[in-house]
Amino acid sequence: MSFIKAIRWMVWKDLITEMRSRETLVSMLFFALIVILVFSFSFSMDHQAARELLAGIIWVAFAFTGIIGLGKSFLAELHNDCLEYLQMSPAPKGAIYLGKMTANFLFMLLAEVVLFPLFIIFFNLDVVEEIWILLVVFLLATEGLAAVGTLFSALTVQIRAREVMLPVLLLPMVIPVMIAAVESTRGALNGEPFALYSQWFHLLGVFDLIFTVVSYWLFELILDT
Amino acid sequence: MTGLYIRWGIFVLLAIILSMLVVRHYEAQLATVSPSDLILSPSTGSFRVQGMVKSGTLKGDVEQGAVQFELVDDAAAIRVQYHGPPPENLRELKTVVMIGTWDATARVFRAHEIALVSNYGFVASAYLLTFIPIGVFLFSMSRKVVVLMQAIKDSKLYEPEG
Amino acid sequence: MIHRIIKQIQRYKGWVGAGAAVCLLTGTYLGLIASPPDYYQGEVVRIMYVHVPLAHTALLAYTVVFAGSIWYLWKRDRLIDNMCHAAAGLGFLFTGLALITGSIWAKPTWNTWWTWDPRLVSFAILFLILAGYLMLRTFLTEDPDRESRYAAVLAIVGFIDLPIIHFSVEWWRTLHQPLSISTRGVSISGELLLPLTIMSIGFHLLFAYMLMVRTQLLYLDELLQAKKGRLLTQMHLSRSQTSP
Repeated sequence: MSFIKAIRWMVWKDLITEMRSRETLVSMLFFALIVILVFSFSFSMDHQAARELLAGIIWVAFAFTGIIGLGKSFLAELHNDCLEYLQMSPAPKGAIYLGKMTANFLFMLLAEVVLFPLFIIFFNLDVVEEIWILLVVFLLATEGLAAVGTLFSALTVQIRAREVMLPVLLLPMVIPVMIAAVESTRGALNGEPFALYSQWFHLLGVFDLIFTVVSYWLFELILDT
Repeated sequence: MTGLYIRWGIFVLLAIILSMLVVRHYEAQLATVSPSDLILSPSTGSFRVQGMVKSGTLKGDVEQGAVQFELVDDAAAIRVQYHGPPPENLRELKTVVMIGTWDATARVFRAHEIALVSNYGFVASAYLLTFIPIGVFLFSMSRKVVVLMQAIKDSKLYEPEG
Repeated sequence: MIHRIIKQIQRYKGWVGAGAAVCLLTGTYLGLIASPPDYYQGEVVRIMYVHVPLAHTALLAYTVVFAGSIWYLWKRDRLIDNMCHAAAGLGFLFTGLALITGSIWAKPTWNTWWTWDPRLVSFAILFLILAGYLMLRTFLTEDPDRESRYAAVLAIVGFIDLPIIHFSVEWWRTLHQPLSISTRGVSISGELLLPLTIMSIGFHLLFAYMLMVRTQLLYLDELLQAKKGRLLTQMHLSRSQTSP
């Protein structure tokens, strides 16, 4: 089985499973909705304060939603010993990682694309001009979260207290992604010139590159028997 | 086990001697009297008075290094005459430590130096908070190593596998 | 081969410990009594003699964890894994103490217990990563091989991440508010350098000594567990053979 084909089958398998159960996406969306509501109650924001805080709120909501999705990613494989079949399968381990990462990336991105209009409605945003910049931020930051998150999801799925361990391990590691995403989102929402926050795009790009390669290389050790 | 306790005993003894040396070194610098103590029982020689510069009493030329003011605490106030190097951080309503002698006849404290208010508490707590946890941790580890060695030796587990 | 080297090193363990004790006692004497107070900071500069070496030792500890993790993944040696585990525990202790002493030092100098200085934030995150590492190891004890493998993966990811975290926090701080209080460089004169050097040597020797003791402790613990396990298996086997 060729490398690309293995990746495609992994993604296809996850998408099919998700389409049949709709478990991950539905729980992610409802969780994020609740996060948005709780934030809007606890800050009781006017229009001006919202602009300052909103970038942070958006990314906290996205990160926690992402963790829900990432946690479920390998949990589904535990049923019926699917994980062991993955370990035994002749497909390259790297391809399994890339497939899982792509699937997680798609789920998280889908959730973000559904949620962001809700933010626009709830907080009266005006983002017509910056929508493409924001989309690039979402793509890059979600890739970074998915790259480290998929590795850590596989790392924590077989241990006790996995629900606690995934965020405890993941959140300190993705602090650069969070800072870069929040800063560039804030810049875009405030309508600042692109040059002022373009440095964060470099940071996101470097982080994505490094951690996709490192996780790709280390994933083999986790699926080892 | 005895060897461990002897080694640690020597170390703790050295640490205690060192800390006593440190305490003695700073004792002279830590001892200050307040203005009310000074009025109740005037002492002779050079010593240190800690108090607050009373507002509205600071007179003289700060840049020349010759000033006079009143130093107060909760109960009493004394007059202070300062001659010395120009004080950099002498302001009204500031707590200072003055070093000098008490002139009982003129009822004036003649100071020749201003010291910083001692903040040895921070230094002491930093050293203690560093060395005590490390020491306790290391001691419990060393002790446990000896205990484990003994456990492996004592149990029949140590016999060569046959 | 590695076992022979470690055996050689363990022979000098006592000397390392004694050296650490001597250096730390002399360093404390020099730092607290012999050295003069700093012109700007006064007496509180003496906190530097413990704070800076603690921070350096914490970074050294994490480097040991990283190098040991790579070595473990390469050679799969239990002893190396015990060393990583030991170094992580010590790194956790030293990072925590560096944060505490830094906080105590910050109060009299900058009049605050905590500032969002890049170095402080990076150290706090290092503390969290090491805490996660140790938690992962305690939750995974059923399978020692998997425990070491997963922990090594985590340590490698964290070590690569650390410089990136530091840079991103630094950018973030300079963007938001220029540091109102200079957190950079106490100008270190010669009189202050001597106690600092001796304390630094002392803490590094202390770390080496504690690393040896703790590695030995974890190794013996594992050995005892393994032998107990083997004994139980043997008892079980003999009973099942004798019983009809």
